[in-house]
Amino acid sequence: MIRLEKRRDPVRGRGFVAAGWATVIAFIVGCVIFACFGIDPIAAYAAMGKGIFSSFDSFSEVLVKATPLIFTGLAVAVAAMMMLWNIGAEGQLVWGGIFAAGTALYVFPGAPAWLLVPAVIAASALGGAAWSLIPAVLRAKFQVNEILTTLLLNYVAIIYMEHLFYGPWRDPAGFGFPGTAQLPEAAHLIRFAGTRISLGFPLALLCAVLLYYLVNRSAWGYQVRVIGREQRAARYAGFNVTGKVLTVMMLSGAFAGMAGMAEVCGIHYRLQTGLAVGYGYDGIIVAWLAGLNPLAIPFAAVLLGALFVGGEQLQSVLGLPSTISLILEGALLFGLFVGQVLSGYRLVMPGRSPDPGVAADKPEASV
Amino acid sequence: MSEPVIALHGVCKRFGPVWANREVELSLFPGRVHALLGENGAGKSTLMSILAGRYRADSGRIAIRGSTVDFTAPAKALEYGIGMVYQRFMLIEPMTVAENLALAAGRKYDRKSIAELIKQTAERYGLAVDPEKPVFELSMGERQRVEIIKLLMLDADVLIFDEPTAVLTPPEVESLFAVIDRLRSEDKAIVLITHKLEEVLQLADDISIMRKGRLIFSERIDQRQISRQQLARLMVGRDVVLRVDKKPVTIGETVLALERFSGDSPLGGPAFAEVTLEIRKGEIFSIIGVAGNGQAGLVSALAGLSPAASGRVMFAGKIYTAQQWDKAAARDIAYIPEDRYHTGSVGSMSIADNFALTRLPAYQTGLAGFTLDREQMAADGSRAIAAHNIKAGSSEDRAGSLSGGNLQKMILARELTRNARLFIAEQPTQGLDIASTEDIWRALLACREQAAVLLVTGDLKEVLSLSDRIGVIFNGRILDIIDARDGNQVDRVGLLMAGVQA
Repeated sequence: MIRLEKRRDPVRGRGFVAAGWATVIAFIVGCVIFACFGIDPIAAYAAMGKGIFSSFDSFSEVLVKATPLIFTGLAVAVAAMMMLWNIGAEGQLVWGGIFAAGTALYVFPGAPAWLLVPAVIAASALGGAAWSLIPAVLRAKFQVNEILTTLLLNYVAIIYMEHLFYGPWRDPAGFGFPGTAQLPEAAHLIRFAGTRISLGFPLALLCAVLLYYLVNRSAWGYQVRVIGREQRAARYAGFNVTGKVLTVMMLSGAFAGMAGMAEVCGIHYRLQTGLAVGYGYDGIIVAWLAGLNPLAIPFAAVLLGALFVGGEQLQSVLGLPSTISLILEGALLFGLFVGQVLSGYRLVMPGRSPDPGVAADKPEASV
Repeated sequence: MSEPVIALHGVCKRFGPVWANREVELSLFPGRVHALLGENGAGKSTLMSILAGRYRADSGRIAIRGSTVDFTAPAKALEYGIGMVYQRFMLIEPMTVAENLALAAGRKYDRKSIAELIKQTAERYGLAVDPEKPVFELSMGERQRVEIIKLLMLDADVLIFDEPTAVLTPPEVESLFAVIDRLRSEDKAIVLITHKLEEVLQLADDISIMRKGRLIFSERIDQRQISRQQLARLMVGRDVVLRVDKKPVTIGETVLALERFSGDSPLGGPAFAEVTLEIRKGEIFSIIGVAGNGQAGLVSALAGLSPAASGRVMFAGKIYTAQQWDKAAARDIAYIPEDRYHTGSVGSMSIADNFALTRLPAYQTGLAGFTLDREQMAADGSRAIAAHNIKAGSSEDRAGSLSGGNLQKMILARELTRNARLFIAEQPTQGLDIASTEDIWRALLACREQAAVLLVTGDLKEVLSLSDRIGVIFNGRILDIIDARDGNQVDRVGLLMAGVQA
C-alpha cells in the first residue's frame, strides 16, 4: 500500500516546494472555475497573461499593485516570525494613510518636497505603529489574543477614516464627494518613466532588505527568532519577551502604515474610499507564500499583483467577474498550506523500506 | 489465582543507540493495581506506550488472555480494552466535557446517551464532573476524571496511569485514589507509573521496578511486607561506581550560599522549603532526589527563571533577598537545563546560532551592540565541535539534527565558555549513552577547577562518581548533607531519597 510517512528532517527548499504546490493547485482550481463559466481555461489564462505582459505599461501596473503588498507582506511576516498573527495590517495601513494625509494637509501644508516626503513617510510609519501598539500591549500585558484584536481594530480604523473624509476633513471644494482635498504637490511621491510606479516601490524593496538584515544580522532579530521558535529557550536565555512583542508589533504596524502612505501619496493623492481594499489581508498570503523570508516577499507580492492585474483583464476581455482573482488568491493560500503539510511527508511505495530516521525518534519524547 | 488480562513477553524497543526497553516480561491481572517504578528514563513510559499502541515494540509480543495481538495505533489497543491516561491530557479545551466524550466515543453513542452515561459512570466510580462545562474551565483533577470516564465509556479493562498525581493538588490525589480503589473492586487491571513510594505502598498489589530499560523486579506483594527501605534500594540500585579519574582540587572560597531558601509550587504549597547549603569553588555539590521532590523548582529559582518566596542568597560575596535574587539581572551562572531539546537549545536554528543563546552579549558589535557577529559565532561553534568531539557536519547544521549526546555536549560547551563562577547541571546525562555520559562527567570534573559545580540528578551512580558532597532532597527539603568520601554515610543516600531518616 502506498502511504505517507513523516519526514525526519524537512526537505531542502521546503518553501519552494510549498510555493510550487500552491501555484499548481491555484492553476487547477482556476481551470475548473473557467470551465464552469463555459470558457476555455487556456484562453482565459492567455487573456490574463496578455493583460499582464502585453506592454510595459500593463506590466508596470503589476508593480503598482505589488508595492502595498510588499509592505503589508513584510508587516505580517515580521509578526509571524514571533508567532504573532497580525491580521490588522489593513487597519494599520488605514492609519498610515490618515497620518500621511493629515501631515500633508494640516501639519506641514506648505513645506517643500524634500521635507514633506520624509515627513509623510515617517508619519505613516508612526501612525501604523501606534495603531498596532494597542493589540501589542493587550497581548503582552494581558495575554489577549492578538488575532481577534488586530482584526476587529481594522473596522474601527476604516470607520474612523470614513468619518474624517465624510466629515471634518472633507474637501470643501469637492462638490460633496466624500474625500479630502488633494494633497499638496510636494507630498506626491515621484513616479517613474511615465508609469504609476512611485517612490513607494523602491522604498518597499529597501524595507525588505532592511528587515532581512534586522532579522538575520542583528541581536534584536536573533532574539525574535528564538522567541518565535522556542519560548522556553528564550526565557532560559533571559530574553525580554514582553518587550519584543511590543517592538515587533510596532515594526509590523509601521510597515503596514507605509503601505497606506504609498497608496495615498503615490496613487490617490487624497484620502478617499478605495484605500482599504484588502491589501492588509493579502499581505498574509504574500508573507506565507514567501515563507516569511523578507527577500522573497517582493517576488510573492509581484505574483499576487500579477494575479490582480490579470483578473481585471478577465473582466474587460472575457466579461468574467474580476472577483475570480480572489478565488485564485484563495486557492493559492490553500495550496500553500497543503504544500507545506505535504512537504513534511514523503511517499512510501509498497515494499520500500521506511525512512530510517523516522524510527529513531528522540528518546526523550518517549521515556 | 486468575489468569492475566494481558502479558508482555520479551518486549524490546530501541531509540537509536539507547535501549528504552530490553526483554521485558510483565503480566497484569484483573482487580489488581500494578505499580511501575523507576527513575526518569528507565523506560516505564515507553513500555506503557507500547502497551497502549502508541509505539510498536521492535521485538517481543503482547498477549491478551493468551492470544497474541499487534497494536498499530492507540485506537486498536482501545478496541482490546487497553487505555492510558497520559500526563498531558488529550482533551480539546474549548469543547465541553460531553462534547469531548462524544468525540472519543465516535458513533457508539448519541448525545443523549452520552449524558446519561457520564452520569452513570460518575455515580458508579465517584468521578463527579459537570458535562456541560468547557474543558478549559476545569481543574487538572477534573480533566483527569474526564480522561478516566473516556476510557471507561469505551469499556477499557486495563487502565494505565502515567504519573497521575504529578499535576494534582493533595485533595485531588485523595479522590483519585478513591477512584482507583473503586476501579480495582470492579475488576479492572490498573497500572500506576509513579516515582512516589508513598503511593505505591498505599495502592499497589503488584510492584515492578525498571532500571535502564530492564525489568529488574516484579512481584506480587502484600503491602505490609515490603518496606520503604527495600523499595528505595530496589529502585535506586547500588551499581558499581565507575572509576572516574578524579584529580584532587583545592577547595576555594564559598561561591553560593543559601539560607532558608524557599519557593512556592504552582500547584500551591511550597515546592522547596528552608534550603540551607553552601557550595565552594573546587567542589561538586550534588542534590539528589527522586523526581518531583522540589529539585526542579529549586534549580529554576536559583537560575532566576522563577521567583523564590523567602530566604537569602549569598552569591560571589553579595547578599540578596529572595525577591532581589529573581531580578538580579547580570549573574555569573552557567546552567545546563534538564530539557535540552526545548529549553537548552533551539532545534530549528543552527549550532552557531545556538552557541549564542545564553551568550548573546559576547557577539554583539557595532553601535549599541546592535549587530550580531556571525563570523565569530560560526568560528566558536566550529571550535566547540572540534574540542568536544561533537558529531556534526558544520556549525551551520541545525541543532535539532544532533543526537541527544551531541546536543548535550554542545550545550555544555556553550555554558563552559561563559567562565561562570557557578555551574549548574540539571540531569545532565539523562537518556544519554555511556560514551556521552563519560564525556559530560569528565567535563564537569574539569569544570570544578574554575568554578563551583551544582549537580542536580536522580542518578545515584552519577552522584557517587562525581560528588564531593551530597544533599538529599525529599518533599522539598534537604534532609541531610553527606560527605561523599564517607562510605558509611553514602549507604544512607538511597534511604534518604525515600524519605527514611534513620
